[in-house]
Amino acid sequence: MSTQDIATLRQRTQGALEAHRKAARTVTVLSCLLAAHDALGYLPQEAIEEVARSTDHTINDVWGVASFYTNFRFTSPGEHTVEVCWGPTCHLVGAMNVLQAVQEALGLQGEGETADGRISLKYNTCLGACSQAPVIRSDEHVLGGMTPARALALLASLRHKQT
Amino acid sequence: MTNQITLTIDGKQVRTQPGKTVLQAAVDAGIYIPYLCYYPGMKPFGACRMCVIEVEGRRGTPASCTEPAANGMVVRTTTQPVQDLRRGVLELLLSEHPHGCLTCHRVELCGPQDICLRHVSVNDRCVICPKNERCELKDTVRLVGIDMDTPLSYNYRDLQVETRDPFYDRDYNLCIVCARCVRACEEVRGDNAITIIERSGTVLVGTSFGTSLLESGCEFCGACIDACPTGALVEREFKWEKAVSTVNTVCTLCPVGCQVKVEVDKRDRVIRTIGEVDAAANLGQLCFKGKFGLDFVNHRSRLKTPLIRRDGQLQEATWEEALEVVAQRLQAYRGRAFAALAGPAVTNEDAYLLQKFTRAVMGSNNVDMASNTRPEAVAPLGEILGYAAATGSIWDVERAQAILVVNSNTTEEHNVAAVPIKRAVKAGARLVVIDPREVELTRNAHLWLRPRPGAEGALLGGILRVIADESLGDEQFLAQHCDNIDGYRSSLAGFDLAQVEAITGVPQDQVRQAARVLAGARPASILYALDNIPTPQREPLVKALVDLALVTGNLGKVGGGLYPLLRGANEQGARDVGCMHQEQGLGVSEVFAAVGRGEVKAMLLMGYHHGLVNGEVEGALAALAGLDFLVVQDTFLTELTERADVVLPAASFAERHGTMTNQERRVQRLRPAKAFPGEARPDWWIIAQVAHRMGGSGFAYPDASAVFDEIAQAVPQYVGMSYARLDTVNGLQWPCPTAEHLGTPVLYAQGFPGGKVHLSRLSGMDHQPVAVGASRDFPLLWAPGRVLHQPDRDVQVVKGKGLNLLRRTEYLQAHPQDARTLGVAEGDAVELVTASGERHSFTVEVRDTLPQGLVSTTALFGELATELQASRDPLKMPKVQGLAVTPVRVERVG
Repeated sequence: MSTQDIATLRQRTQGALEAHRKAARTVTVLSCLLAAHDALGYLPQEAIEEVARSTDHTINDVWGVASFYTNFRFTSPGEHTVEVCWGPTCHLVGAMNVLQAVQEALGLQGEGETADGRISLKYNTCLGACSQAPVIRSDEHVLGGMTPARALALLASLRHKQT
Repeated sequence: MTNQITLTIDGKQVRTQPGKTVLQAAVDAGIYIPYLCYYPGMKPFGACRMCVIEVEGRRGTPASCTEPAANGMVVRTTTQPVQDLRRGVLELLLSEHPHGCLTCHRVELCGPQDICLRHVSVNDRCVICPKNERCELKDTVRLVGIDMDTPLSYNYRDLQVETRDPFYDRDYNLCIVCARCVRACEEVRGDNAITIIERSGTVLVGTSFGTSLLESGCEFCGACIDACPTGALVEREFKWEKAVSTVNTVCTLCPVGCQVKVEVDKRDRVIRTIGEVDAAANLGQLCFKGKFGLDFVNHRSRLKTPLIRRDGQLQEATWEEALEVVAQRLQAYRGRAFAALAGPAVTNEDAYLLQKFTRAVMGSNNVDMASNTRPEAVAPLGEILGYAAATGSIWDVERAQAILVVNSNTTEEHNVAAVPIKRAVKAGARLVVIDPREVELTRNAHLWLRPRPGAEGALLGGILRVIADESLGDEQFLAQHCDNIDGYRSSLAGFDLAQVEAITGVPQDQVRQAARVLAGARPASILYALDNIPTPQREPLVKALVDLALVTGNLGKVGGGLYPLLRGANEQGARDVGCMHQEQGLGVSEVFAAVGRGEVKAMLLMGYHHGLVNGEVEGALAALAGLDFLVVQDTFLTELTERADVVLPAASFAERHGTMTNQERRVQRLRPAKAFPGEARPDWWIIAQVAHRMGGSGFAYPDASAVFDEIAQAVPQYVGMSYARLDTVNGLQWPCPTAEHLGTPVLYAQGFPGGKVHLSRLSGMDHQPVAVGASRDFPLLWAPGRVLHQPDRDVQVVKGKGLNLLRRTEYLQAHPQDARTLGVAEGDAVELVTASGERHSFTVEVRDTLPQGLVSTTALFGELATELQASRDPLKMPKVQGLAVTPVRVERVG
């Protein structure tokens, strides 16, 4: 990462923390981490350092809190996120075929980001749309009635979409 | 004792104090309850569940480490359900810890020195653990009596051992996550350099993003290693070695005087040092120097025989020959032509005999401590208050509500003395730091006043003025204990706040705040080292600090007082026994000039003098060449022995009996842990031999204890002390007037020996703005700083030759006005040139938070730690440079 990018990450974190301090009634390490995570989509080292500085803790204190929660991520997400549901309902109607196709297309073994950093794959255990199973969430959209072919078409369209 | 409570543990009546836990009560009464996460001095944690007990009338099995002891409580620690529970807990712990060493059928057959290579599976045989036979987990397993049929399979975490950071290795495959290390770092030391990461099945100890300790705020004090119950954390040097004996003695690297347990192996080498928990001076704490710097005593380049210069070369000689040469040659220099200096780490016995020899045999008063370059730090306390020493105890500072630290890099130069400061701050005390440099304590301070170097006195005058103007002082204390109040007050007139601001560069507002903090909370402690204070300003500054302690009524109270932070490890002791410069003689500051003038022709230097007198006396080393005769008693060949006519090999602190007096007046015992190397002997013995040969009477001492008995007769504060007593009570703080007296932790609790104390008029603190930039070539002053942790700076950890290294952009902060004069702007590359020609590259940061005329930089302590780890010099720890403010020139690059 260039020095420029690092400076930007710091600035964006500082901005988010400042806004959070103005809006929130109580400011804690956790609430600061959430604010930074919301703003950046993940917690880079710079965000941990900025939260440490603004809350007067060491980076290790902050890391201890951040690493406790599995919903924080510490590497940058892909430009688009695809979540494949493998809950019981989706599973029964072929979710694993969909998942396999998606993983093959993205060149992934499990969850993670594609090599080009464009798409993140996550598992999901229920999106609350069992009537349309199997389901995929593509960024903010929930798409039902998935088949391997439709999933691949979706990935192709995501690859061409500008952010 | 009052307020005792009585409870029954396993049928035995146990008395304890309220606030103690059942576990503490049991341990105090000699009843052992197994535990792994509890550690003396830390708050109850209750994580390991090994110490479960049954309490009559209570459901379940509470952990005794979190259960407060209560009156009438009936506790059982060894019932069957409790034992079963403990075995279950241990089995769970062992499901993630290598335990071949515990389940091996030969465990009773193997002696403690043997390592087993055949009888357990290859991947976890005994030799993978450096704590073999020192492991608390192993002891616990044996005591609890776990069935030895636990299968060998366990979840091996397969983590790489961390060996790239300085001084110690971390093998988290052996970690049982008791969190003792995390709590040692957080609760005890106040550093938070490590933390518990993740949770449930994957929980472990680590640092942010798993990177190096170098950037995580670690001060490499080793407190975590001492607390670790397994082999997860170990010292890298002598990692696999086993101790055959352990001796309690005193670290001689700084005046805090930490007691250490020195472990010696079968080859008579010091292999480890562990802080003594039962020592009042350090409560088990050590620092990077005492933990990782004491093995210099093993070094093969130690001096082992006397050396005499013949034909320009130092040649080996016998004691007989060497002592004869010294005695013969010194005959010619009796009187003022002779001078003697004691090194910073000599014992009281050495220092006492050195001054006795110099005065009684040589007839000279030219005797001093080589580190006594700042006598003004202590002398005024004697003149004004009665005793030339700190008024309180180091750990009483923890009970202060407000703390002032003046020009001291405490965390590096008196490390353990900084621990109670940090702990007090964590507990809510207010810390004010006056220092132009950014040091670790400024990072912890509520108020960091950053005056122009040399304007510290004016700043203090401003603070005293505000206290007087706002009537913040302790009038009752003043009326009862002080006179010259009017004289003192009238001298404050010169310290108009607007003028103080102009002189110091510190905003008036901050001066007012500081005064309110320091006078508003009692008790308040004042610590000062006088780093970078010009000589003429030292005495007025210390007198002003005494005034501050008096007007705020902070003397004679626990948690209040004045603490001069001394230079030499035994400077207090040397002063007490008379080995210190007095009016009639030449002190360390004048003696080298006298050598230059030909007045002093022979010298004796005892003990190690790094950089001769802290590098503070210019030309000292060069002056030695002008001597007719030079005797050096030392442990290594140094720049001093190079110039010596006779070199006498001295024993180190680890090889001898003796006493040292630390900077809180605590007299403590040195005990021999190993044999003398070769012919080396204690300094007191050498000096007694020379004196004897020169016809001096009263130098026939059978041992060090006899020398101390004479000191106890000669020094009024030491009268009640003897080796036997010091051994029994583990150190005594003087004054100790009788053989029953328990020592004096706080001076002046019953008033002042001279009745009323004379408040000093403020004087000698320039009312004129300090002339920054004395020379045209070097117009700015550079305040180099060093801190543990700077989260606002980007740091990269790169892998060097086997070690982690820090890489980052270093910044030079300058005042906007200075930046304009230099023609530089934020982000420009500059070079800083010192008067001695050193060049350092920096990137400019323009800040108005520092005074005009000052430029400042801040390094990370991790860099120093890496350098020390890489250094092969056995004397690296005493050689760590202080942070000196120096004149510089800043040049633009490109």
